[in-house]
Amino acid sequence: MTPEAVDNPEALPRPDVRPAEPFVVPLPVRERLDNGLTVLRYDMPGQYIHSVRLAIPIALHQEPLAKEGVATIMARTLDEGTARHTALEFARLLERRGVALGAGVGESGLSLDIDVAKRHLDYALDLLRQALVEPAFPSDQVERHISTRLAEIEQERSIAGHRAAAEFWSTYFDPASRASRPVGGRAETVAAVTREDVLAFHARHVAPDEATLVIAGDFTGIDVIASISRALGGWTAQPAYQAPPARPTPDVAPDRARIVVVDRPESVQTEVLVGAPGPDRQVEGGWAPYPLLGFMLGGGPTARLDALLREDKGYTYGVRASFRPRRREGVFLTSGSVRADATVDAVRLLLGVLDGAREGFTDEEVAHGVRYLTLTAPGRYATADAVADEAAALAYDGLTTGFTGQTLRDLTGMDADRVSAAYRRFVDGRWTVVLVGDAAGFIDGVRDLGRGDVTVVPA
Amino acid sequence: MPDIAYPLAERTLANGLRVFVSADHTVPTVTVNIWVKVGSRDEVAGRTGLAHLFEHLMFQGSRNVPSGEHFSALLAAGGRVNATTWFDRTNYFETVPKGALELALWLEADRHGRLLDAVTQENLDNQRDVVKEEKRQRYDNSPYGNAMRDVYATIFPQGHPYHHPTIGSMADLEAATLADVHAFFAEHYGPNNSVLTIVGDVTEAEAFGLVEKHFGPLRPTATARVEGTMPVLPPLTEPVRFEHRGPVPNDRLYLAFRLPADGTEDFLAVGLAMDILGGLSSSRMVERLVRTETIATGLSAHPMGLAGGVSLGIVSADVLEGIDPEVVERAICEELERFAAAGPTDEELEAAVAETERSWLSALAGQDERADQISHYAALYDDPGYVNSFLDRVRAVTAAEIRAAATAYLLPQQRAVVAYLVDVEPGQAATSPTISAEDGVQR
Repeated sequence: MTPEAVDNPEALPRPDVRPAEPFVVPLPVRERLDNGLTVLRYDMPGQYIHSVRLAIPIALHQEPLAKEGVATIMARTLDEGTARHTALEFARLLERRGVALGAGVGESGLSLDIDVAKRHLDYALDLLRQALVEPAFPSDQVERHISTRLAEIEQERSIAGHRAAAEFWSTYFDPASRASRPVGGRAETVAAVTREDVLAFHARHVAPDEATLVIAGDFTGIDVIASISRALGGWTAQPAYQAPPARPTPDVAPDRARIVVVDRPESVQTEVLVGAPGPDRQVEGGWAPYPLLGFMLGGGPTARLDALLREDKGYTYGVRASFRPRRREGVFLTSGSVRADATVDAVRLLLGVLDGAREGFTDEEVAHGVRYLTLTAPGRYATADAVADEAAALAYDGLTTGFTGQTLRDLTGMDADRVSAAYRRFVDGRWTVVLVGDAAGFIDGVRDLGRGDVTVVPA
Repeated sequence: MPDIAYPLAERTLANGLRVFVSADHTVPTVTVNIWVKVGSRDEVAGRTGLAHLFEHLMFQGSRNVPSGEHFSALLAAGGRVNATTWFDRTNYFETVPKGALELALWLEADRHGRLLDAVTQENLDNQRDVVKEEKRQRYDNSPYGNAMRDVYATIFPQGHPYHHPTIGSMADLEAATLADVHAFFAEHYGPNNSVLTIVGDVTEAEAFGLVEKHFGPLRPTATARVEGTMPVLPPLTEPVRFEHRGPVPNDRLYLAFRLPADGTEDFLAVGLAMDILGGLSSSRMVERLVRTETIATGLSAHPMGLAGGVSLGIVSADVLEGIDPEVVERAICEELERFAAAGPTDEELEAAVAETERSWLSALAGQDERADQISHYAALYDDPGYVNSFLDRVRAVTAAEIRAAATAYLLPQQRAVVAYLVDVEPGQAATSPTISAEDGVQR
C-alpha cells in the first residue's frame, strides 16, 4: 500500500505543558469630556495601527415604522459628503492617509470605526468629526445608498444563511416588535426613505451624551486625550436630540416554538437555524457559564454537535452554537448547513444533542472548555482592533473590558453543576427551527419529528 | 514614521527544514506556522481536491496521537488551531500560550513525520464527506459560489496547474483512495519540503533548540519542490468570455487578468494599479460606475498573488438592476484604457501607498499573521525578510512603473470575463457555451 515507506524514528516522549502566566485583560483609562462623551483609552505598546470605535446607543424602534432602515442609510451616508467636502473629496481625504472609516447600525445602535497609522491619528479624528457633526447627506448619495441597500436585500435573500436568519427573527419575535424585522429595513420601507428623513434621524439620535469612544494603540509620545478633546470636545447634541430609551422590554412571540421551512427547490444542502431564549450580560448568576456552554456544544470539532454531526456522521462542514446577548435578554442560536438528503436525521440528532445537554455536562468537558476560554484570552486580546472591538461592544451595555476580566476570573472557578444549571435555566426543549432547503425532500420527515407546527414559506 | 523592523533569525536543519524565529515578548503567546510546499497546483488529473482533503486527514491522528487529539490537546492548552490549502501551498498553524510551545512542536512533528500509521479508510471516508459538505456550503449552495472556479477555468488553459480550484470536483473527491493518500504524503510531506516559523514570546535559542529536538530526527523523505520553475504565462491577447445564467440576485461581472508572479517588482506595480483603478473607495472605477453614473451598486479590484509564473487580477462589479451589463463592462474597459494611456496621478499613488501601508501594518499586528507572512515569502520566494522590506519596496514604485505595468497586463483585450447573469426565463438552461482560453501557453 505504501509506495515508499516513510520510516521515521520514534517520537520523543510527549512534553508537558508549563502553566500559563496569569493574564490580565487590558483595562481602560476612563474619562468623560464636558460634552458627555465617555472616552476609554487602551495603551498597547507596539500596536502601530490605532483602532478607534465610537458607540452611540440608538434603539431601532425609534425609526419611523414606514421608514425602517433610515438608521442604516444614515450610517452609510455619513461620509458621502460633508459641509466642506463632496463625497469623492472625502473619500480621497480618508485614503490619502490610509484612514479606514466604517459606520454601521446594529441592535444596540450606531457604530463608527477608524483604523489609522499612529502618526495620522489627529488627521483621522478630524475627519471622524466632520462625518459625525457636519454630514451633508447629498440627495444623490442618499438615493444611491437606497438602491444599494435594495440590491443587498435581494442578495441576502439568495444566501441561505441570511435567508434563514431573516425568517428566524420574524418567527422568534412578536410581529409587532422591531426586532422581528431586518435591522437595515425591508424593500418597501427603505425605498420610502428620503434625504429629509436621514437628516432628521441624524439630528434626533447622533449626539455625544450617551456615546462612548474607545481608542487602542501605541500611545508612546502622544497625548491621546488632548487629540480627542480637540477633535470631538466641541461636538454637541442638536436641539431635536432624543436620548435613547432604557433597555427595551423583550417581545418574544408567544407561538415561537415551531418549525418554518423556507422552500428552495434543488438546494444541495439545508441550512439549519435553531434558537431559544438566552440571557443578557446582566443575568443573575453571572454571564460566565454561557460562552462556556457555547464552546462545549458548538465551538469546534471537539464540541458535542460537531463530534456527532461532522466527525461521526459527516453530514456537515460544521455546526456552531452560541449564546448571543442582546440589550435585554438574549438568544441561544445553533446553525449549520447539512447534506440535503440527511436533513431529517441531522435535525433530529441536532435537537437531540441540545435537549440531551439538559442532563448536564461532565467535569472533564467543563475543565476542557474553561482551559480553552481562559488560556486563549491573551492571544484573543493581543491587538488594538480586538481590544477596541470588545470594548465597544460592551460600551452599549455600560460595561468595559473589566466585565471581560471578571467573566474570565469567574470561569476559572466554574464547576459542572453550575454550568448545567445555567443551561437548564434557559433551555426547556421548546425551539424555534428554521430550515432553508428543498422542502419536498424532507418535509414529511420533519413533520414526523413531532417538534411543533411546520409551516412552509416561499424563498 | 516608526517603520517596522521585526527581528528575524534563520536556521536550516540537517534534514532540510528551514526554520525562522521572530521573538516578540509583548504577549505571552507563541505562533507555530508550517508551510508545506504542496497545493492544488501539484495535483494530478483525476485527483483534484486531494491536497485539501489530505489537509483534513492531518487532524485525524498520527502514530502517537489518537484521532481528534491534535485539536483537543491544543485547545485544552489554550491553542487556536487551523490549517488551509491553496494553489501553491498548505499551511498548518497554532497560537498557544508559551508554555505549550513544545507540545505544539511535538504534535506537529508527529503528524508531519508519522501520519500514515493512523490514516484509516474510516477516517478518509468521514473527512471526504466533510469536505463534500464544505464544497456544497461554500461553493455549490451559494449564488456566486462557483464564480471563481469559472474564472480559473476561463483564464488559465486546460491542464494548467491553476485551471482547477483547490476544493476540487465531487467526482475526484469520490475517487480518492487510501493509496493516493499514502503516495501524496510520501511525495510531498517531509522536512525538506517545508518551512517552519515561530513568532512570539520565546528566545531564538529556545525556539531553535525545540525545533531541532522534535523535527531534527525526521528524515528528508519528501521530493522537495523547486520554486520558480513553472513557465511564465503571458497575458491573454484577446478577450475570452464565460456566461452563467442562474438564480442569482443580480448580474455580476468578473473581469480577470493574468498578472506577473508574486514576489516581483512588476507584481507590486500592477497591484497598485488595481488599487487605483478599483480597490479603494476613491478609485476611478468606483467613482465613475458606482458614485457618478450609478450603473453598478458595488465594484472592487484586487490582485491575487501566485508563485507559478502568473498571478490573477480581478475586477468585479455588481450591475444595478435595469442596467445592461455590457454598459458596465464597456465603462470598465474605458477606464483601463485611460489608465494605461496616462498612468496614475500623484494623489492616487499617495492614497494607494497609504492604504497598503495601513492594511499591511494591521495584518502584521498579530503574531499569527506575521508568522504566516514569514513562512509565505520564505517558502515560495526565498525572501523571509519580506515582512520588513515590503513597505519600502511599495514606496519605491513610481507612477511610470505603474503605468508600464498597466500597459503590459491590464488592457481590455487581455481580459477574461465571467458573467453571472440573472436567469430571466425560468427553466432555461443554466449554463451557456464556453469559449475557453486556449491561447498563449508557453511550455
